[in-house]
Amino acid sequence: MKEKIIVPIDPDIADLVPGFLANRRKDVDKLRTLVQQGDFAAIKLIGHSMKGAGGGYGFDPITDFGAAIERAAQTGDGATVLAQTDLLDEYLQAVEPVAG
Amino acid sequence: MSEAQAAVTGKVLLVDDDPDMLRLLAAWLKAAGIVAQAAQSGSEALSQIAISRPDVVITDLFMEGMDGMTLLTQIHASNPLLPVIMLSGQAQIPDAVKATHLGISAFLTKPVDRETLLTEVRNHLRAAEASGRERTGFGAGVVYRSAVMTELMEQAELLAQGDVTVFISGETGTGKEVLARAIHQASPRREHPFIGVNCGAIPEQLLESELFGHEKGAFTGANTKHEGLFLAADGGTIFLDEIGDMPLGLQVKLLRVLQDFEVRPVGSTRTVPVNVRIISATHNDLDELVQSGEFREDLYYRLNVVPLRMPSLSERRDDIPILLEHFLRKHAERAQSRKKRFDTEAVEYLCTAPWPGNIRQLINAVELCATLTKGEVIPLAMAQKALRDKPAQIQTLKEAKDAFEKKYLISVLRITNGNVATAARLAGRNRTEFYKLLGMHDIDAASFRGADSE
Repeated sequence: MKEKIIVPIDPDIADLVPGFLANRRKDVDKLRTLVQQGDFAAIKLIGHSMKGAGGGYGFDPITDFGAAIERAAQTGDGATVLAQTDLLDEYLQAVEPVAG
Repeated sequence: MSEAQAAVTGKVLLVDDDPDMLRLLAAWLKAAGIVAQAAQSGSEALSQIAISRPDVVITDLFMEGMDGMTLLTQIHASNPLLPVIMLSGQAQIPDAVKATHLGISAFLTKPVDRETLLTEVRNHLRAAEASGRERTGFGAGVVYRSAVMTELMEQAELLAQGDVTVFISGETGTGKEVLARAIHQASPRREHPFIGVNCGAIPEQLLESELFGHEKGAFTGANTKHEGLFLAADGGTIFLDEIGDMPLGLQVKLLRVLQDFEVRPVGSTRTVPVNVRIISATHNDLDELVQSGEFREDLYYRLNVVPLRMPSLSERRDDIPILLEHFLRKHAERAQSRKKRFDTEAVEYLCTAPWPGNIRQLINAVELCATLTKGEVIPLAMAQKALRDKPAQIQTLKEAKDAFEKKYLISVLRITNGNVATAARLAGRNRTEFYKLLGMHDIDAASFRGADSE
């Protein structure tokens, strides 16, 4: 079993975090499908949103994955999008938010 | 709490096509005691701004459909002073420069830092509060920022310069006397008295003597000569409140004053010239009173030279947050205590309450809340208690449309003296349809017909 990544959560947004992480898990599936479809405009949007919100929720790596995915989408680099999506998937499986 | 974090009131509109981002920003603002509303697109934001003007807008730059830059341009086309904070995924200098040229208030890079954002928002809300509070010149002391009040005050300021007779209509408690005073204070008569008299609160005999004065011995108890309020206001302004309640007999006498600018004290055979500006007001529908014969038509036209309508509080809900703040500050000054504030839920509740008693009711509610709350923050429960838990009585769209339709039909019939053919033509309907509408609203066209009509 992989090591858990403990992330302290701001109490003011604690009730929003489960929904935020659930939406990112949906993004993982969407991104894989969109790469197959070659829809880089939609991929860019998802990356942009993750980049904007991740750090605010306390998950800086999500901002980093989002930025990398957005950048890769701009050049139509599907391999990088998939690689970053895999890393995002692993992170989401390992992350464990705890009351900060 | 530091100075930077000190409580501010106001409303922020968040615009982002990412629901997670909207929820995050709304939670940050709520935790800081700031009311937030959200829009998921530029067009939704413009609709919300048209309904209820926020104090600050925070928008994402990169959105599907209308982007942040277009939204900024459209907001400033109708609300040039509304602060807009833009969030951008990338620190793109050309965008920031363009936004600056378009009048952006702040340009923040995503992921945005919570404290940076809150500091920006607080600074803009404080500036908005100050603009509501520190109004000087015309209307100093009148607290407003809504478009409907701004328009009214601009009109009133123009009237103040001249000497024209002003008639103020509006529901009870809307502040008609406050407006009358503002007009007087900005007029060339400001160095002379402003005298207000409530025509509905004084019995007819006494009102005549109060207004026009009396000679010694004019009636039982008139032991001394009394000059009357018109003469006391000489050179200044007399404010005749609740003019619709003035008895018919006295209306004739008032008409003479308006025609000749002379008063004849009770018991006197001679008239005395008087130089006053008359501002009158009523909560009644004077048109209806004229129609029913309870108010003289000739006097109505003399008084109603320039009509101003004071909006009800429910028509100027944008002003409620700054009014709450204003009266909380006044309470604190009077009580020599620390100023209290309403929590976010309480402000939201008060902003949507029905307010049948208008500003007078709001002042009473603020006084009660500020007096009975021990801590610094007034909770929702206290606000509800102050309004006796009356739920918001917002009309349904159908009720509002029906009410408008009825009012419209009545006004058209009044104009046409009950002539249905003409009324139907003015309304753009055929006679059959028009009769059907009258039937739906139980309106009898015959009751509008005078002796000289069809």
